[in-house]
Amino acid sequence: MSDRRLKQSLRTAFGVRRSPLRHGAGWLDENLGGGSGLLRQELRHIFPDSWAFFLGEIALYCFILLVVTGVYLALFFHASQAMVVYHGSYQPLAGVPMSDAYSSVLDLSLDVRAGLLVRQVHHWAALVFVGALMIHLLRMFLTGAYRRPRRINWVIGLSLLLLAGFNGLMGYSLPDDLLSGTGLRIAYSITESIPFLGPTMASLMFGGQFPTSGLIARIYPVHIFLLPAAIAGLLGLHLGMLWLQRHTEFPGPGRDDRTIVGTPMVPAYALRTTGYLLLVAGVLTAFGGLLQINPVWLYGPYNAWDASTSAQPDWYMGWLEGAVRMMPAWDIHIGGFLLPAVFWPAVVLPGLIFTPLFLWPWLDGMALRDGVFHNVLALPSERPGRTAIGAGFVTFLTVLLVAGGDDVFASAFGLSLPVLLRTLQVLFFVAPPMVALFTYLIFRRRARRWLTTGP
Amino acid sequence: MNDREIGAHGASLAPGGGSPPAPGGARPPGWPAAIGLVVTVAGAVGFVVAFVANASTGWLGGSLAAALLGLGVALAYWGRDLAGDEVISGAYPTPHDDVPGAAALGADLEQSAGVITRRRFLSRFLVVGVGVFALSQAVILGALGPWPGRSLFVTAWRPGRRLVTIDGVPLTRDVLAGGGILVAFPEGHTDAANSQIALFHFSGSEFKPQPGRETWSPEGFVAYSRICTHVGCAVAQYMDEAKVLACPCHQSTFDLLDGAKPVAGPAGRPLPQLPLAIDPQGYLVAQSDFTEPVGPGFWNAG
Repeated sequence: MSDRRLKQSLRTAFGVRRSPLRHGAGWLDENLGGGSGLLRQELRHIFPDSWAFFLGEIALYCFILLVVTGVYLALFFHASQAMVVYHGSYQPLAGVPMSDAYSSVLDLSLDVRAGLLVRQVHHWAALVFVGALMIHLLRMFLTGAYRRPRRINWVIGLSLLLLAGFNGLMGYSLPDDLLSGTGLRIAYSITESIPFLGPTMASLMFGGQFPTSGLIARIYPVHIFLLPAAIAGLLGLHLGMLWLQRHTEFPGPGRDDRTIVGTPMVPAYALRTTGYLLLVAGVLTAFGGLLQINPVWLYGPYNAWDASTSAQPDWYMGWLEGAVRMMPAWDIHIGGFLLPAVFWPAVVLPGLIFTPLFLWPWLDGMALRDGVFHNVLALPSERPGRTAIGAGFVTFLTVLLVAGGDDVFASAFGLSLPVLLRTLQVLFFVAPPMVALFTYLIFRRRARRWLTTGP
Repeated sequence: MNDREIGAHGASLAPGGGSPPAPGGARPPGWPAAIGLVVTVAGAVGFVVAFVANASTGWLGGSLAAALLGLGVALAYWGRDLAGDEVISGAYPTPHDDVPGAAALGADLEQSAGVITRRRFLSRFLVVGVGVFALSQAVILGALGPWPGRSLFVTAWRPGRRLVTIDGVPLTRDVLAGGGILVAFPEGHTDAANSQIALFHFSGSEFKPQPGRETWSPEGFVAYSRICTHVGCAVAQYMDEAKVLACPCHQSTFDLLDGAKPVAGPAGRPLPQLPLAIDPQGYLVAQSDFTEPVGPGFWNAG
């Protein structure tokens, strides 16, 4: 039987007609949508277009890259604090006793092919992931994207930020190098500072008094399974709701709260966003290949009696570090009990920051008596009050972030550390309202102009 | 979906592929996508070569990044420019269209809930049953680790226990003759992180013992807990001129000549002092354990 005739009879046997696309589409529609034509409709799903909508995509693609690189790292990482003697290729640590976890990170960094590239891409992706989430949330805030009917999705987005930051901290802790152990020590002490429950909570969570021998094994399933599963689940919800509600759009001709204008998913949007996925992966791979990050072999293994100067957490924890550094030493003694000063910046302050953030869509709706549905975004100049609050909040976080590196800034700019710290303590209270006020005045002028002359 | 075409092109997916013609007949150039794909092929080949040759991280990352970026540029350009500027519009799902639906949903749910709430006693019992079951699972949380008990109040120091270095070498009255600092542990417990101390030797004129601690510093040997009372880092930076110990984590600074009281930074309490003695053979030993909890504060540390 000739080749052509074989193909011909196979086609007949399997009912394949001329165009595989046409046939495949029918097959898919039948098996995914019950033959109702749903698939055709959904392939034409409309995506409004703006550079600002790319921010959430960056976060999503960082997460995908984190999962892919994380699986590769998990193949080589040992979640064990059993003591081993290092015999790898890094000579300065030859013969040094260390945990199996730290030793395996040295091996996967220095002796596994492409291991360092993958580890550095993983770390960079985590840093960009949290950053993209933050800027994405800021964009949502400034354009009122959280208003009805997207209030729940704002809450999901904030939860994703918390989970991403927390999982970043867990990942930072796994290599069991000197810096990561110090970070865990601080986390333990912060837990300990919670009134009444603190010592018990810390002991239960860490498996005893710090440093405990089973901590890495305990963090590992949280880092690679529990939190990623939670992030993936919430991301699914986030995207599912986005799909059902459609994406918001900026004001423009032909657009209103009932009419969405944009690119169909197939072919243009699908091509574009796949391209963006690859661009994000490409940029992070370039970072991972060319920019060194967290060179754990330089820090040495964690020992409770070792310390490293200018120990810094990953940038997204910097605000919390800054709050801890700025808080005056006000331990409160109440009738035989102690409320350590660190409780306020490390436990109370995050609560004070995130509670209003979570409630923001409802607070905003109440303050503006705004209960209607919004699919068209507000421009920052349209709502100067909202924009001012956003600017004040960013200033507040910036002051905290700078305080988190106060020793680095002091030595880099030749400043006196106590003077810098006192300045930051003043700015903590003064700068956010000042910036908010200026922003309000500037944007109110713009808003008036916008109302009279149009955007 | 009631799509209304406002773009230049038809709504149908052109079967068999092919980009729709641009308005005015001028097709966008294909070369940007072609360059991207060439870079992808070059990057992919480069990556395989670099991987097989076990090249440096820079070569591996650079070639892989080039491959990804090339393909990304090609696809993004294809989606933006070659796929045409098809813009379509449709309807947002809005509640105004759907009020009867929402009301019907409420009625349905009410009816379904009625199956449970009609049995009033039983439904309350259901709440109690589910609640008690949920609370019962809290015992698992209680078993995640040991309960702290008195463990935060004790270290490995005992009366007469010798001070040793991290390598287990006992310390005698001959150490620190020229000043400086030594890190010491209780003999046999060099892995006890909460027992680490910083040992100093001051002359009688510069060091004034705190009231009630006059016998804790024999021959000018003074030992403080080396765990910061702020959040527990090792207080590792010794400044000999100022006679202060500083924490590298948050810059808490403790005055060693004045009971290690905090003089700067966020720490609120002094470093606990270990009562020392010198035994007949000249070894430095502890008189007792610390008299207060070491390390960061906690609720019942009062």
